[in-house]
Amino acid sequence: MIATQIKFKKMKKHLSRKIVILLLLLCSFITNGCTETYILQTNTFEEVLVVEATITNELKKQEIKITKTARFEDTETKTEAQAEVYITDDSGNKYDFEEQSEKYVSKLEFEAIPGRKYTLTINTNDGRSYKSSAEALTTVNELEEINATVDIKNGERGVAIHVNSYDPTNNSKYYRYEYEETYKIVAPQWTREKLVVLDPRTVDRVPNSPETEICYSTKNNTALLLASTAEQKSDRVNYLVRFISDQNYIISHRYSILVKQYVESLAAYTFYSTLKKTSGNGSLLSQNQPGFFYGNLKSVDNTNEKIIGFFDVASVSSKRFFFNYSDLFPKEPLPPYYTECDIESYLFCFGFGEKCKGEELIEKIENHTLTYAYRIGPDSPFTYYLYPTPCGDCTSFSSNIKPSFWID
Amino acid sequence: MKKLIVTLCFIIVNQLVFAQQTNNTISIEFKDISRMEAIQLIESKTPYKFYFDLDWIQADKSLISGAYRNVTIESLLNSVFSKTTLNFIVLQNKIILTNNSLIYDKLAANYFATPTNTSVKNPNITTENPVFYRQYDSVNNYKKNSTITFIGKETKKDTTHFYLLSGYIKNAITQKPEPDIAVRVKSKNISTVTDKEGYYILKVPGGINTIETTSIIHQKIIKTVMVYKDGKLDIEVADKANQLDEIIVHNKEKRAVETVISGLVSIDIKNIKNIPLILGELDILKVATTFPGIKTTGEGSAGFNVRGGKEDQNLILLDNAVLYNPQHFFGFFSAINPYTASKANIYKGSIPTEFGGRLSSVFEVITKNGDSEKVSGEGGIGIITSNISVSFPVIKNKASLLVGARSTYSDWVLKSLNDESLKKSEAGFYDGIIKYNHTIDKKNAVELTLNYSHDRFRLTSDSLYKYSNRLAALKWDHTFNKKNKAALIFTNSEYKFNIDYDTEGTNAFDFGYKIDEKQVLLKFNTLLNDKHKLNYGLSSKLYNIDPGFLSPKKTESLLLPINIQSEKGLESALYVSDEFKVSNKLLINYGLRYSFYASLGESTQRVYAPNVPLNDATVIGENHFAKNEVIKTFNGIEPRFAARYSFTDSFSIKASYDKTYQFIHLLSNNVTQSPTDSWKLSDSNVDPQSAQQYSLGLYKNLNDDILELSLEGYYKRSKNILDYKVGAQLVLNKNIETELLQGQGKAYGIELLLKKQMGRLNGWLGYSYSRTYIKMDSEFNEEKVNNGNYFPANFDKPHDVTAVLNYKLTKRYSISSNFVYQTGRPITYPIGAYVYNNAEYTLYSDRNKYRIEDYYRLDIGVNIEGNHKIKKLAHSFWNISIYNVLGRSNPYSVYFVTENDGQIKAYKTSIFSIPIPSITYNFKF
Repeated sequence: MIATQIKFKKMKKHLSRKIVILLLLLCSFITNGCTETYILQTNTFEEVLVVEATITNELKKQEIKITKTARFEDTETKTEAQAEVYITDDSGNKYDFEEQSEKYVSKLEFEAIPGRKYTLTINTNDGRSYKSSAEALTTVNELEEINATVDIKNGERGVAIHVNSYDPTNNSKYYRYEYEETYKIVAPQWTREKLVVLDPRTVDRVPNSPETEICYSTKNNTALLLASTAEQKSDRVNYLVRFISDQNYIISHRYSILVKQYVESLAAYTFYSTLKKTSGNGSLLSQNQPGFFYGNLKSVDNTNEKIIGFFDVASVSSKRFFFNYSDLFPKEPLPPYYTECDIESYLFCFGFGEKCKGEELIEKIENHTLTYAYRIGPDSPFTYYLYPTPCGDCTSFSSNIKPSFWID
Repeated sequence: MKKLIVTLCFIIVNQLVFAQQTNNTISIEFKDISRMEAIQLIESKTPYKFYFDLDWIQADKSLISGAYRNVTIESLLNSVFSKTTLNFIVLQNKIILTNNSLIYDKLAANYFATPTNTSVKNPNITTENPVFYRQYDSVNNYKKNSTITFIGKETKKDTTHFYLLSGYIKNAITQKPEPDIAVRVKSKNISTVTDKEGYYILKVPGGINTIETTSIIHQKIIKTVMVYKDGKLDIEVADKANQLDEIIVHNKEKRAVETVISGLVSIDIKNIKNIPLILGELDILKVATTFPGIKTTGEGSAGFNVRGGKEDQNLILLDNAVLYNPQHFFGFFSAINPYTASKANIYKGSIPTEFGGRLSSVFEVITKNGDSEKVSGEGGIGIITSNISVSFPVIKNKASLLVGARSTYSDWVLKSLNDESLKKSEAGFYDGIIKYNHTIDKKNAVELTLNYSHDRFRLTSDSLYKYSNRLAALKWDHTFNKKNKAALIFTNSEYKFNIDYDTEGTNAFDFGYKIDEKQVLLKFNTLLNDKHKLNYGLSSKLYNIDPGFLSPKKTESLLLPINIQSEKGLESALYVSDEFKVSNKLLINYGLRYSFYASLGESTQRVYAPNVPLNDATVIGENHFAKNEVIKTFNGIEPRFAARYSFTDSFSIKASYDKTYQFIHLLSNNVTQSPTDSWKLSDSNVDPQSAQQYSLGLYKNLNDDILELSLEGYYKRSKNILDYKVGAQLVLNKNIETELLQGQGKAYGIELLLKKQMGRLNGWLGYSYSRTYIKMDSEFNEEKVNNGNYFPANFDKPHDVTAVLNYKLTKRYSISSNFVYQTGRPITYPIGAYVYNNAEYTLYSDRNKYRIEDYYRLDIGVNIEGNHKIKKLAHSFWNISIYNVLGRSNPYSVYFVTENDGQIKAYKTSIFSIPIPSITYNFKF
């Protein structure tokens, strides 16, 4: 259904632009650009605190992020520094947080306990004060299982990773997921030798480091992943948390996903789903109702002051899952590598002849844009064949450190 | 005429000296001879010569008899002309006859009156100053084509102030008497109405009087009369259809200053042909928006905002049947065929009790009746559309049929374009109307209207949008007797839209929506007595809504078919109102409307926990209702009150109070109304809307009704106005109530309108200052907008200036212009960006905190009438107009897009950012 709605929007957007063109053509037979850039009013910026705070039932040093809204032209997100941050519960406990590398981390490890109500307080350095409503820990519900199957989505074949969960008490209802995916990368054009530049006109072949052949990349989800069983008879989740096209290189060898399941309160779920809805662009004819919306945080002194974020006290459970490409796609060719690996040839000579590319070769080796494949020719000048660096050296874009959780 | 009289006066004054000398006596005898013969006889027997206009004498065919012995010439003539309007003066041997006027041999004492005049006046004797031509000279309001008619014979001694003026009013062509024509004396608050024989009698003051006739179907006649004595004035009136050269918009039935209703805009389609409009299309609804208080959100918006009301709060009626979408092509054309419409009344202030079901206004569009005497028709050929309407008699002088059709040929234009993507597009509409009316006998008449309009557009190769209105209205008018009339009306309206998404992939689908409304109305009018006019009746409406379905078109589709359960509701009302003429000065109209609404099954309704936001978590159960089982009922009493007090004949004040209920809501989270917005009925989870309006207005006619000035103010409060939660999804939502908010509205404004109805320069100027606010407050954040404070509505545009001016250069050429200025509408602005959970989001300002730039536009048009040869096939005229002469790029929409580099960019779309010329040829036969 969501897909359909997106389609509606796309259609409408396309459509409305065309109406304009069409009308112009019809009326005047003159094509005059009718959509133009509109100068944004610049004096509208408001600096608002953005609070990301999810406290779980996991015993650890809990973390809270407090940043500030930025102007559109700003590239960096600023952290609200030197704020006093603490959580209190209805049993009289107070958990203090301290600033650590752009985050606020609790001084002591603690976990949210069922039945208790927690309140977040933030006092900024310049004297503003914010408080959340009192939130209780949501139902604790274990993530049951993760599975991966070959499936088709929107006409595209790929791997569908579902999570399953079941709450026999029918209390959980609202779920939010986060995942962290890690995948093994094998540089397809890794060779045992590499080129090194000895002097501005000399190169030599030396043994290549085996460390550059295999790497592991880790990525987090960015989209909000939300599921609700409110309309179902039973509180059973079968949620598609990740879909990877069979043309995506990340599943080429071995893939692992860690899925975290948060059971959310309705208020938190409403906040996240509103956030999700507003992130999509509206269209001309079906504009998404834009607007500002509050979470459960409020300024203590000025109720009209904006603050973004939700103080979420959610139960969490997680599971890790691995699969190999060959398990799901036996005997099928691997997906294309993440970048094109087209071989290039360089005649290693210097001079004005068009064929001589010695200087260019040296420059590209020194800049790490190319990686050596092989050379041809019994005598000088040799012709060197090279690939773009990522094809022969995965450390150029990933890490060769095997994560501690990795099981081959 | 005037010159002649002045010259005559000079001659007389010069001869005065000799005037008194001829006192010889005469003996003469007449026997049954005409006065002409009498004059000849006198001339033959005496030295006197008569000077006169032959017409004066010949007009009087009566015969005289009499024997005179030794009488003076004065007493002889006094006797001869005693029963005529003729006066005479004897100057030596000359006798000068005058008609009506008495030639004074002395000027009145105060003819050259100075403020220091010391003449002593005896208060007990009423001395009336003679009426001189000087008075006539100073009457600056006489019409260019009017001549003075003299009533009665002037006498030297006259002590009465008022005289009786009477006469017959006849049709100039048929020579039949015309009853029910209002005859009044301008600026004097004296009026009457002709009786069955066309006879009228008026008590008028002596001197110059301007007598005026008014009637719905006849041309206005203005006669300037010089009243000396009781007298007769017969007037011939012509049918109005013969003349439409000067008046643009004219409230024909009654002068605005006289009616009890405030906030009424009446538009006569015949008279709006001069206004330059977009693409040369006549458009009654576009003209409506040039009056203060009626606005659209922007160009290309399908809806209207009347006095701070939402788009869905207007009851748009075509011959009593509701027209759900009054617009074609996203609002660029109206769905009402301009050639078959006769007039539109827009009630934006006080709404008569016979109307209900919408909060803000009633747009009552009435279709023309066909010509039951001969075949006639008219049409227009424009660059985008063409239309024709033909009317012909079915039974001569009893029944006629009017058929109108209009269609676009934009498809052809699109196909001929070089642009590949536009070649694949299609866009067009057509509509057709049939009106049959039949006068069965003097007491019964039947009328049937059928109307269908259809729009389709395909702007991407795979999606076809269609929408259509269908309506039917059958009306039977019955007159019981002189005082009681009734009308029985059945109507049916249907609106539907459909999106056919025919992609090559598996996701092809068909999506649609439909609303159907059946209504029965019974209206009564009773003329209780001179003072009380009663209107009462009842109505009942049955709604059936199919709120949406989505069916995948391919079997392998992954889309799930969706079908939202249908809605049904019955809306009924009883009403009564009395127009009570308390005195000549005070007229009141008071009434009540009782509305009753029942939401009906079959339906499954969710039950939510009380006093918490409606959402999936607060559902505590479900109730199932069988077919036609009552789910929930609402009812309410709607008092309507209006009063008019006339300070003078041309200056009045009006006040009104109105309450209205509305049980049907348009779901539209767009800024502008779009054809794919759907209507939703009130049910157990959506409450009806209600509103109360207070208005006060001052009305003044200047220069003998040539200028009409009005100033109206209103204050409106409304309840349960629909709004939407942030990010609301309205399409195919099974639990739409979870996305809705219902809040309060308040609106106020003042509207100033100056109309000049005739003259070479005519038109109107309007200005309004109005504000509209809504408030969504709750104890829950989810249900709050702008922290629960009042904020300006999407269509809050405080300043609004319009000027429609028409100048007639010659009989054939006229130029007209149309100017609009409006404050930019409010917008919710992106004011910053933030990161949450590793993703970037946009921070928006408070709802509608900022405004887009102001809107202004000037259109100019030229009308060229066809030649004025009497023998020609068709009467025709050309309309050449330029829309947006200033080339102002007015924003239609401002929207924000997150570019690939994460930057937010704002874009502005204008529909017509350059001057758009158009030409239309209109003809009539």
